Order: sequence, then structure tokens, then C-alpha cells
Amino acid sequence: MNTQNDAIRKAVLVTGATSGIGLAAAKALAGRGFHIIGAGRTLERCAAAQAAVSAVSAGGLVEYVAADLSVQSQVRTLADIVRERLAGERGLDVLVNNAAFVSSWYMASEDGYEMQFAVNHLAPFLLTRELLPLLARTGAGRVITVSSGSHFRTRMRWRDVMFRTGYQCLFVYKQSKLANVLFTHELNRRLGSQSPVRAYAVDPGLVDTGIGEKGTTGLVKWIWSRRRRKGVSPEKAAETIVHLATMSEYIDPEASYWKECRPEEPSPYSRREREMTRLWELSERLCGIESGDPSVRDFASAFALTGEREPILIQGGGR
Amino acid sequence: MKSLVLITGAAGGLGKAFAAECASRGWDLFLTDTAEPPLQALADGIARLYNVGVRFETCNLTDPAARERFWETIRAESLRFHLLVNVAGLDFEGPFAEREAEELCTIVRLNVEAVVAMTRRALAFRDPARTFRIVNVSSLSAFYPMPVKAVYAASKRFLLDFSLALRRELKASDATVTALCPAGLPSNPPVIKAIEAQGVIGRLTTRNVGFVARKTIDRSLANRAVYIPGLINVVLRRLGSLVPRSFMISLLGRRWNLDGKRPKAAEG
Repeated sequence: MNTQNDAIRKAVLVTGATSGIGLAAAKALAGRGFHIIGAGRTLERCAAAQAAVSAVSAGGLVEYVAADLSVQSQVRTLADIVRERLAGERGLDVLVNNAAFVSSWYMASEDGYEMQFAVNHLAPFLLTRELLPLLARTGAGRVITVSSGSHFRTRMRWRDVMFRTGYQCLFVYKQSKLANVLFTHELNRRLGSQSPVRAYAVDPGLVDTGIGEKGTTGLVKWIWSRRRRKGVSPEKAAETIVHLATMSEYIDPEASYWKECRPEEPSPYSRREREMTRLWELSERLCGIESGDPSVRDFASAFALTGEREPILIQGGGR
Repeated sequence: MKSLVLITGAAGGLGKAFAAECASRGWDLFLTDTAEPPLQALADGIARLYNVGVRFETCNLTDPAARERFWETIRAESLRFHLLVNVAGLDFEGPFAEREAEELCTIVRLNVEAVVAMTRRALAFRDPARTFRIVNVSSLSAFYPMPVKAVYAASKRFLLDFSLALRRELKASDATVTALCPAGLPSNPPVIKAIEAQGVIGRLTTRNVGFVARKTIDRSLANRAVYIPGLINVVLRRLGSLVPRSFMISLLGRRWNLDGKRPKAAEG
């Protein structure tokens, strides 16, 4: 097993790390010596997952934080906790945005946004923005967002992104997974090729997990339960995440969409700059990030100049 | 003078949907609920998404003194309203004899007394330049006495009758009243579980809250008296009115006792 010594122990934050792909990824990375910070929704499930991951850890710390990622204030608190936990360390090497949610019914999050959009897209967006300085500090930070092949043949429904009307579970899910790919592309574009952080979207394929059965009813639940039987194990699906988290260098900077440990071509729509930018700007607005904030590019380069310290926020400017 | 939409119970599932719906129409909002952090989060989120003004004030609507303070704030800031959405309501489900007396009275205080008080006070703060619209969240259970939900269903019946009568009374003063009578609304995970537990009937009688909020406002603007979301619910209601009430009561009792107690439902 390829374990690390304490001097270069890497740290990873995995969201949705109490079951399915997230738990499998946490276990696999723990086995490779990573310091694991897992996030889950309830303390109970976090405690159970922490025990399971600790059991296979190769010496790295295993911690869990309970947070409801549909609530923006809790996403920010999670980021605060991660910053605090890693204060004396080299930084955060990997962020795995894995937590996702499927619901048969329209539900509004605490912030008044549609729940799947809030959990599947806005939470990763905000968490990444918050943790970017910590990721940059390692010199080779990775943002791995678990998307899905369901992002193909989908467009953003700009006139009602929140699907308050015409809510169809699968369309809403597909849109949120498309948003993951658009976000990944836009993040890389804004970071630029010399960035100390790179983003990847992962297509785990069809996986045997409970994601489609937790918040759904009727036909959707039935279809999901049938389909999952044909899926691969969460462990198998987590391999791509582990590969991206552990590979020694960035390969092709254009390779941002991965499946089965190989880069693949995402949907053409997900590469449209107009849509990428539009989603980014909407997400900033919905997360209360002022338009006058420096772009991610300024953010990362500001960090590079200040070395070990927290980055200085440059006010004003813009892109 | 800017006139606002006043939404009670705004931080609940249906309340959030009404907040989003009204904001999407470009209306400024005034939200109230019991706890501040969810109101703050909702106000921020809605303001960002729809670019409207959103204010809020916490208020325990079952407490007359708290209501008094609430309206003092409104008066002090000389606010005016053109729409009142009475969403706040609750139910402690379960057999009557198994519930505490105070719990049962709280249902009446919130579902009945608070709506009466808020409606009366809001009328005094209506925007004189516009039609004043009132939306009361009643329930499909308003149409029948319901065993296991005896107090709740009766309180919703009150809201339905109150709405219909007040509607006639206010006709001449350019104000409208619309009663929303939904079946179960899947607005949060416990309610979704409860709907699922009812099987096919639960799913068929259920509509998305986003859709229900939009249609309700449409109906209110069209000055409709009652809105029952979902064709099947309208049909059930019609069929239900053809059979004797005593028969409906025993039928409903059977349905609700099938799987015993359910998680408490926030609204609907």
C-alpha cells in the first residue's frame, strides 16, 4: 500500500462521506494515509462512518463534521471548521464535493432555493470558494466534484432554475449535475493554467447507492431501485476520485471530466463559455458574494504572493 | 409608500414557496415566523434571487402580546400591505385523548385565533391604492370532520367558512379572500414520509408546493373563493359531497387508523 509518512500527510475533505461513493472514497483515501475530514448530515451517521473509516486508516486522522449543506450558513461554518482543523497543517490537498440529493418533490432550502440545486450545485460552489486559499496553499490542490453522465442532453433552465413550476425530479437532478460540470470548467478557466488548484468533474457511472431512494416516491423510486442493481459498487465508483486525488501531477489541463480513471469528453453544452459564466455569476449572487469581489484568479495569485499566510482579499477590481 | 406582501409561517415549506412565488412577481415581502435565523437566511436568499426588498420580524402568533408588538413595528415604520398570506398553522397529530390539552389548544390558537387577529390588523394596514388580497391556508380536511385530526380539521373548517363569509363582507371595499384547500403538501422530509405511508392515494392527492403557491396566487388575483390543488382532489371533494357525512367520517377514520400514528405535519 502506498502510504505517506507524517511529514507529508495529505488532507482531504469529503462531503456526503457517510454512505455510498463518499464513504468508499473516504475509506480508500484513509487507507492511503490521508487525513480525512468527512462531512455528513447527521451526527449519528457521522459517528458510524468515522468508526468505519478509522478502522481502515493507515495512520491519518479521521474526523467527521455534521452539517446540512442545503443551508449556506452551515456550508460556511463547515469551511470555518476545516480551516481551523488544518490551521497548522500544509493546507487542504483535496476537496471532494460528493454530497448530493434527489427529491421527487419541490422543496425549498432554508435560503429559499430549490433543494437539489442548493445541495448539488450551490453547496459545492460555495464550499470551493471558501476553501480555495487552503487548497492553493498545498501548491497542487484538487477540487473533485462528483457529477454524472446524466449531465448529457441537458440544458440549464434559466427562466426558472429553481423549477418552482414544472418540477420533474430527473430533469432537476440532471440540471444540477450539468451545473457541476459547468462549474468545474468555469473554475479552471478562471484559475488559469498556472494555478495551484485544479478542478475535476467525475462521472461515477451507474452506481449501486441509495441516492435515488432517499427523497423520492413512486415511479422514480422504483426505477432508481431497479437501476441501481445494475450499477457498480461504490468502491469501484470511488476509484476515479482516488485516482485524481493521488495522481502525482496534473496531466492534460483540458482533461477536466473523468470516468473510470480516464479523461472523457463532457457534453458540448458544458463547455459553452456563456453558460459557464452565467451559472458562475448567478451562483455568486445566490451565495451573497458581491460582484465587486476579486475573481478566483486574483484570489489564487494573491495567495501565491503571500505564501504561508491567508490570502489578502483585494477589494474592487473584478475581472 | 411601498406596499408589501405579508406572509406568516414564512420559514415553513409552504411559506418559503409563497415567499419565492411572490418575490418572483416582483413584490416586496414582509415575512414572519417564530425563529430569527431561518427568517434571516430566507430573506437573504429571496432578496438575492429575485432582487426584491425582503424584511422580517419574528413573532409568536399565538401570543396576543407578541402580536401587539408585531403590529407596533408595522405602525412605527408605516408599512402598508396589498396581500396577506396566512400560512402559519400546525397540527399535533394523534388521537385526541393522547394529546395534552395545551397542545390541542395551541392548534386552535394558531390556526384560528391568530388568523383572525392577523387578518383584522392587516386590514387596517392595507394599501389604500390597491385591491387588498387575503389568502388563507385551509385544507382539504376542511370539508369533512376527520377522526385523529379532529381539532385540526375543525380549525381548517373554521378558516374555510371564515374566508367565504369575509369574502362577501369585504366585496364592496375592494378586498378579496381566497381559501387554499390542499391535500398533504410535500414540503419537508417528515411530511414526504407521511405522504409515502399513504401509498398511491397519498401520491395522487399531492402536488408540488412550488406549483401550489403559484396557482394560489393566480387564483387570488382572479378573485376565486376556493382553490383545491389537483384535479383528483376536486373530484374527491365532489364525490365526498354526494355521500352522507356520517359515512365519510367512518371512511376517513378507517383510512387514518390503518397505520397508526404519523409524524406531525407542519401545514397542509
